[in-house]
Amino acid sequence: MTALDSRVAAPADPAPDGAPPHGRRRPARHGRDNRTAYLMIAPMVVLLAVFVMWPLVYSLYLSTFKISFYTEPEFVGLDFYQYVLESPRFWESIWVGLYYAVLTVPTGIVIALLLASFIKTLSRRAASYMKTTVYLPAVVSTVVASVLFVFMYQDDGVVNAMLGVLNHGPVNWLNDPSYALPAIAVPGIWLSFGVTTLILLAGLLDIPENYYESAQLDGAGFFQRLFRITIPLLKNVLLYLLVTGFTLAIQLFELPLIMTNGGPVDATMTPNLYIFASFRDLTPYATSFSLTASLMLFAVLGAISLVIFRLVNSDKAIDG
Amino acid sequence: MRRRGIVLLAIAAVTASTALSGCGGGSEDPAGRTTVTFWQQKFEDYQQAWFKKHVDAYNATQDKVKIDLQVVPADTWAQKLKAAQAAGKAPDIATTSYGNVAPGVAQGQFASLDELLPAEAFTDVKDNVKGFVTVNGKHYAYPMLVEPSTVLYYRTDLVTAAGLDPNSPPKTWADLVQWATKLTKGNVKGMTIASAGPDLGWSSWGLQYNACGRLPVNDDWSKSTATEPCFEKLLDFYKTLYSGGLIPKTPKVGYADGAPYGQGEVAMMAGGSWVIGQLKNDFKAMVPKTAVAAFPSFDGDATKTTATLGGWTLTVDAKSKGKQQAADFVKYLLAGDPALMADFFKTSGFSKYTVRTSVDQALASNPDATSDPFMKVISEKVVPFGRQEPAYPWDISLAFGTAIESAMKGKADVPTSLKTAAAAIDDVIKKQSLAGTAPK
Repeated sequence: MTALDSRVAAPADPAPDGAPPHGRRRPARHGRDNRTAYLMIAPMVVLLAVFVMWPLVYSLYLSTFKISFYTEPEFVGLDFYQYVLESPRFWESIWVGLYYAVLTVPTGIVIALLLASFIKTLSRRAASYMKTTVYLPAVVSTVVASVLFVFMYQDDGVVNAMLGVLNHGPVNWLNDPSYALPAIAVPGIWLSFGVTTLILLAGLLDIPENYYESAQLDGAGFFQRLFRITIPLLKNVLLYLLVTGFTLAIQLFELPLIMTNGGPVDATMTPNLYIFASFRDLTPYATSFSLTASLMLFAVLGAISLVIFRLVNSDKAIDG
Repeated sequence: MRRRGIVLLAIAAVTASTALSGCGGGSEDPAGRTTVTFWQQKFEDYQQAWFKKHVDAYNATQDKVKIDLQVVPADTWAQKLKAAQAAGKAPDIATTSYGNVAPGVAQGQFASLDELLPAEAFTDVKDNVKGFVTVNGKHYAYPMLVEPSTVLYYRTDLVTAAGLDPNSPPKTWADLVQWATKLTKGNVKGMTIASAGPDLGWSSWGLQYNACGRLPVNDDWSKSTATEPCFEKLLDFYKTLYSGGLIPKTPKVGYADGAPYGQGEVAMMAGGSWVIGQLKNDFKAMVPKTAVAAFPSFDGDATKTTATLGGWTLTVDAKSKGKQQAADFVKYLLAGDPALMADFFKTSGFSKYTVRTSVDQALASNPDATSDPFMKVISEKVVPFGRQEPAYPWDISLAFGTAIESAMKGKADVPTSLKTAAAAIDDVIKKQSLAGTAPK
């Protein structure tokens, strides 16, 4: 029983004579329902308040100080916001995060859509096998995947060996500023497309088959069916994947930490890694700077999500 | 119901207070012993064993203080230490590099040891090392060892096979490039040297001194000097090694790790003196085929600095509740019986260098120490010309290391890379108000 249930249930108790039914008892019941509802959401509200809201408010307060663990913190107002905004490395890290997101999110969605469409055509048993296979990378630890790909990208690794068969010299995948981020994007896509595929498959299975049958009878080809039926009806799913994909991709941390440590020349220095690297410096400046940079990243991620919501208008519901 | 709540609250309070007292520094255990926490940064395996052996011995010889040794990996050290400091649970004793002593003192992080140790403890420390742990006339750390950051290691068998004379190692950077070119054959690269920005940030300090006689900041830390033309030849040197394919382009490990040399992947290596210990312990077969020399100077002048003298100290936290007990342990371990530290240097394969005269005397009677060929070269040809590590914030070193990496990997040309570094360094100076704060 939730607050929503209680609201839905109320009109189903009509008064036979037009008078308010059970006039004296209703407020008491409403009060009880509300109390139950508040009690049920209370744990989450308390947890959110303790672990999200209070730290956020306290962080905002602390960001106005140069924090020292041994001397009195020095009030500096909004100085650190100015320092972060003026920091070329902060903005470069945002661009690196966006570039990584552009490399991985659309590619991942296209691959996942193709795979989901393929799985939809398979028999139940084959589809079940394919779903398990596709989902497998999602349960592989990012650390393990990072180490595997580091070995694969070595001068004498399997990737350069394959290039050697095609008569191409070894490529310096992880130590060349132009190749490093795309090289990291490959395990990034590999790790995430399993989940994306399953979500898209669920969306595809929700589209009634008779839409496609009608379209085929009207002479619609594959691309017409794709762009007129499939994609419009997957709009909400795609929006979800885009928003979560972009925000997660920009916050990438483990892959560049293990594979390149943000290098070469900051080419894979994603925002979170940059903030982490700043925090590891032992000066009071670094502590306050990394705290403020985290708050700024929060604002940047919010702005990016807003832009995506604006670009792709969400529909509340499309009747299947 | 109400009574049950009170009982639960009481249990929670007792649990919390027990947990807090157990974690805090200088606390007392149930046996009435003061617990002193000691964080040791993880180094080579033999060092962990040495620290543990002597901590156990100290704990066994008395019943007033218990040293709680915790080994912390280097890559998690900074964030763990900061988190502990923020929670008011910083270790009572910590390993601290020379470069972090002055910045730590500026933050009020360390207790002065002059009030906690007898004066004789410091009179035994060599004069050229005293300055590393002294700020404004006070000692804030007790030195353990020094180790030059850059020494040249080379394979005598490969050098001979390439028609070069192993008894006459390269003296200039041009000689070194020539050797590396001749030694690059098949899967074996001519040499290895740092190629990632963070590694270059600290491992190139000695070569920065070599190229310009100074680091890329002026003496009072008010302005960057990174655009001085002398630094261009340093960046050109690194760029030649990288773009010429004379060093591995995708190194598997960082500068501090000598494994690629030990595994025979390179014929020469720029590495710290600590690699000797690694070779003697992990790559014994490579030792007879290895010779060491001072790293070449850009113009062949062997008296110019090519290495900084890095190393480790023990510091006592300014907020420790057991400062005296912590200092007593530091005295026992580093400033007491010279045989203790002599044992350490022997265990290290004489890959590190003493900081106390009495330890030198203890080692003088040890034939292993006096006859070690590596120790002789490094003691006579590297250490006397070594300089102290800079005490300015790491951001400055990182900016210069990134400039070298940028030039090496073609992200920008040499002058542009240096200009970018200069701007970044000036920005650090301005925002961290460094002008005029250089330790004297």
